[in-house]
Amino acid sequence: MARDPKYDILFEPIQLGPKTMKNRFYQIPHCNGFGSEKPLSQAYFRAMKAEGGYGACCTEYCSISPESDDTHRVSARLWDDDDIKNLSVMCEMLHEHGALAAAELWYGGPHAPCMESRCVPRGPSQIPSDFEYLTYPKEMDKDDIRQVQQLYVDAAKRAREAGFDIVYVYGSHAYLPQQFLTPYYNKRTDEYGGSFENRARFWRETIEQVREAVGDDTAIAVRMSTDMFMGESGTQLERDCLPFVELVDDIVDVWDINVSGISEWGEDATPSRFYPSGRMLPWQEAVKKISKKPVLGVGRFTNPDLMIEAINEGKLDIIATCRPSISDPWLPRKIDEGRLDDIRECIGCNICISRWEIGGPPLICTQNATAGEEYRRGWHPEKFDPAENADNDVLVVGAGPAGMECAMILGKRGMRRVHLVEADDDMGGIMRWIPQLPGLGEWARLVNYRKIQIDKLRNVEFVPGTTLDANGVKEYGAEIVVIATGAHWATDGLNGCTHDTIPGADAAQPWCLTPEQIMRDGKDVPGNSVVIVDNDGYFMGVSLAEKLASEGKKVTLMTHLGNIAPYMHFTLEAPNQHRKLHRLGVEIVPYHIPSRVEQGSVTATHVYDEEGHEQTWEADAVVLITQRRSDEALYRELKDRIGFDALGEEGISGCYRIGDCEAPRLIADCVFSGHRLAREIDSENPEVPKPFIRERRVIERELALA
Amino acid sequence: MNGTLVVAEHLRGELRELTRELVTAAQQLSGPVTVAVIARDPSVFDVSFQGVDEIVNLPLGQEEFENDVYQTALEALIADRQPQAVLLGFTVNSMGYGPAVAAKLALGFASDVHGLAVEGEAVIATRSFYGGKVDAELEFPAERPVLLLVRPTAFAPAADGGNASATEFTVELPSARARHLEFEEAATGDVDITTADFLLSVGRGIGDKEAIPQFEQLADKLGAVLSVSRPLVDAGWMPNARQVGQSGKTVKPKVYLALGISGAVQHLAGMKTSETIIAVNTDPEAAIFNVAHFGAVADLFDVAAELEKLS
Amino acid sequence: MKIVVCVKQVAVLGDEVEFTADARDVDPDYLDFALNEWDSYATEEALRIQEGLGGEGDEVVVVSVGDAQVEVAMRRCLAMGADRAIRVDYSRPADPITVARLLAPVAQRESPDLVFCGVQSSDAVQAATGTALAELLGLPRVAVVTRIEWDPSAGRATVRRELEGGLLDLTEVDTPALLTIQTGINQPRYANLRAIKQAEQKQIEVVSPAEQGEPAYRVRRMFAPPKGEGAQILAGGPADIARRIREIVEERLK
Repeated sequence: MARDPKYDILFEPIQLGPKTMKNRFYQIPHCNGFGSEKPLSQAYFRAMKAEGGYGACCTEYCSISPESDDTHRVSARLWDDDDIKNLSVMCEMLHEHGALAAAELWYGGPHAPCMESRCVPRGPSQIPSDFEYLTYPKEMDKDDIRQVQQLYVDAAKRAREAGFDIVYVYGSHAYLPQQFLTPYYNKRTDEYGGSFENRARFWRETIEQVREAVGDDTAIAVRMSTDMFMGESGTQLERDCLPFVELVDDIVDVWDINVSGISEWGEDATPSRFYPSGRMLPWQEAVKKISKKPVLGVGRFTNPDLMIEAINEGKLDIIATCRPSISDPWLPRKIDEGRLDDIRECIGCNICISRWEIGGPPLICTQNATAGEEYRRGWHPEKFDPAENADNDVLVVGAGPAGMECAMILGKRGMRRVHLVEADDDMGGIMRWIPQLPGLGEWARLVNYRKIQIDKLRNVEFVPGTTLDANGVKEYGAEIVVIATGAHWATDGLNGCTHDTIPGADAAQPWCLTPEQIMRDGKDVPGNSVVIVDNDGYFMGVSLAEKLASEGKKVTLMTHLGNIAPYMHFTLEAPNQHRKLHRLGVEIVPYHIPSRVEQGSVTATHVYDEEGHEQTWEADAVVLITQRRSDEALYRELKDRIGFDALGEEGISGCYRIGDCEAPRLIADCVFSGHRLAREIDSENPEVPKPFIRERRVIERELALA
Repeated sequence: MNGTLVVAEHLRGELRELTRELVTAAQQLSGPVTVAVIARDPSVFDVSFQGVDEIVNLPLGQEEFENDVYQTALEALIADRQPQAVLLGFTVNSMGYGPAVAAKLALGFASDVHGLAVEGEAVIATRSFYGGKVDAELEFPAERPVLLLVRPTAFAPAADGGNASATEFTVELPSARARHLEFEEAATGDVDITTADFLLSVGRGIGDKEAIPQFEQLADKLGAVLSVSRPLVDAGWMPNARQVGQSGKTVKPKVYLALGISGAVQHLAGMKTSETIIAVNTDPEAAIFNVAHFGAVADLFDVAAELEKLS
Repeated sequence: MKIVVCVKQVAVLGDEVEFTADARDVDPDYLDFALNEWDSYATEEALRIQEGLGGEGDEVVVVSVGDAQVEVAMRRCLAMGADRAIRVDYSRPADPITVARLLAPVAQRESPDLVFCGVQSSDAVQAATGTALAELLGLPRVAVVTRIEWDPSAGRATVRRELEGGLLDLTEVDTPALLTIQTGINQPRYANLRAIKQAEQKQIEVVSPAEQGEPAYRVRRMFAPPKGEGAQILAGGPADIARRIREIVEERLK
């Protein structure tokens, strides 16, 4: 298929200082958990996007010194020559695909707790970080300023030596250069604080020095937050940023423009729950109006029409993506080839970001199970080895996230026939009703993409409206059976706090409900007052609270934890979700576990009250979000009652379980589960995941201790 | 062989607009245009349009359509008139007897014809193939009449003001082997946008979730079913069952009225084969205008308000 | 009791197209194939009637015209539960009258109690083969049927004929008869892998084509349709536009 000419602008090259970028697709700096110390995972991950057509790919934030150590979170590092060696692999692989490589040189100041290096970060004023509250910076004197600027220069030289084409002097997310610019962080009274010129001085000088060091053959990028949404004390567009652009435009080769500070950087990496794509275009446009240099920026752009609109309307020169490049590293290529319906669109769930926020794990992606697995498992999102046992028919029972993914990948691996059988009348499983929760509409893209792909696969047939029991499975005629029957919310209040049921809890009663009863089955939530018992920790409790409160109910959201929906802190959704619940008058009751529920009331005790005093809440309805239970009945019947031997006699050589029906898990992990089984369906024992490569140092004892 | 015989299309006492279109179609061919009205009382239908040279009234002993009866009537007309071409509408009634006449008399035949021309003595018809994705010109056997079922809306309706006079033509008609008993109106069940004849479809242009009820109401008044483009489902304003598009439903209604839909590729894939597409959008470059049959560059709320008044 | 179901393997064209050298057809490399959607409803209806009557020796026989390739579609009908399949070996594109002439001797030979055809095929959309075939077989016919109640012993069926605008015409038809079946008459069953595999093993009878006479048309040129001249612009203010829209809607819905 051919490219639609209206997208031609996206494929026009553009000059970034001394470098030419081959098109307008730019992977903005973003974390992946690999840094410089898992160099092959890093390189393969970035190179996949270059292979997919990206004109430039960046490292994540790249520390310029042991003083800028974000452990437990994983950054890249350019501290020494060995780091150069490691990151040069990424640069080489990017260059092989014709993409530019960019290093986002980063100094965190007080936001970097230095838990590995045990160094002391430096900052403009000695105030503990609003992000890492135990971290104090050393207040910089003139020597410190010169030294830190030299750190940038040295790091820029290392970057160039490693093969990077673009180096950043990165300030966004309230890192050091932006801290100098921002009154909230900078209380100085010398020439580096106070007036705009003074607050801009550090950043300007740093850019000048870096430019002098490497600017003749390396492009200089500046990433700036144009509004921290903190009023006068934060960075502001008109007061600080536009003047800064004017001040240094001549010495900057490309502007990377976003918004937000660091403690609520979900205003930049916007979850789809709260913001549509292109949220930052007004600020990006403001900079583009006054700058003579190319301007790029993100906005969770997945739709090529929105991309060309942004360029054609003079808001951006280059479309940068982070999360959409994770969910589909081949986005540019698919637009180029006119394969728009093959684009795996980002759903804005921020699961990828949550792994970085937790600190340590590699990123994962709900839409793209291969994200982060390019090296360690050798998975390519667009290439599939034909299965060695392709001469088999597969029955996948259940078309939820795991089942759909498994059937799709089995189809792409060339299995002779794959039947994806679903009791409901359409694909999706839990993803049919989860996107109906407030704000989660874009999450339906998970289903949309797989529906389209499965429809295209000649060897995969979707069989709706069909419920199979164990005999039906046995007699279906498949040689391989995959059970993907999902999970359900406990109807008896069984929970991970007491490890027991809740006395009186019974979702068969009209006043006692579970999430799927409300969302999927349309069970009426009676009366006016609702108590939601939330022991889950992620979004189900707050989403239902928001939904029911918006419908006019008086909602109490009770949790045994100290904080409601703690995982949403990691997905950057917590602040706005809390604001919503507050606006809706939802009563949040932490540290409480029900001792009993009955029609009309919930009685609970404080988890730290050793005397167990009871308190009662009025509740016309009680919603149980206590824990999930696998729907494993079908699998158990097949394994325990019929037995795998008997299945073998019917010609079934393998019977496997994936997704929630094995153990309830994140949607991203359900998709991964289906994907993995399909990738390894021809291994010796598909049930057991094959080992993955761990980038670690292996000691040869004799050599090491000699 | 001379001229074209048009069979008037009517249903439940009303002459269909299609009849006028058939007259226009007939004018693409050579020779006189004769309109035959086969009905219980043909004289109630005024078919004296511009371009009609002759009217033949063929009275039946019955009110409603039965395919054996119409087949015999048409065969008699063809034997009597020896037309070069016979034009019927591509309608359910005509599907029930047109091809039978063509098979019986070994006529040239094609249906869903949307273009007509004459080259010398030869009739050339244009119709689509491969699900409407390509067109083809057809030639027909020489020296035989050709019977064509013509696509509704393919030709402009002929205007009033002709001066043809009518003659009666009586035929002995058989008793039908398939007999009309009674009519039933279709039941209105659950919303299934793929079976609706008329879809009112809204997109991002409506701005806000709060606007949905207004358009549900308008759809109701217009006798349409409300459908939506993907952004509204993404935003959670409407369920996926209402979504038109590649990952929603593919629809092919008689009328698709799109308000504030720009026409993303995936959306167009779901509706571009609709019989009549009317699009209203403030952006004259909106892609939907490439597939629309009728377009208006206007504010959808203004137009919606006016439509509401008319209903 | 025997029901003959005439089925077609239709061609599906994607968004790209190239034509043959003589420009009279599409290059087959660009085509995908599938069982005609209407024919799966027709097959399902035949199977339901057969199951409803529950007699011994009842058969649903599918017949198709085409080359060996079309057996793929026919096997889908066998997998659904059809008993036998007969293919008239013919590889040229054919107009509906010609197809009816090719089907007629086979249908005749089977002496069916009912003959089903789909209302139309999704690729050619002629909606004519069924009615033409009925004529050649001398059978009473009803086109565009959405419900069938058949009383074999009375030699009569009451069917619902679906007219434009959703109007339903309750019709009584003498049987044996030919009915063209509309989508939505039922919910076609899915075949499980076992049935699909069994259908793969079944023999499909192949017969030579009968005399077809002259075709009803000849394609002289096939081409990509001209890009829409663009929409007809509705001019004026909102009130004029609304009025025009209303007129168009009324016309089109008749």
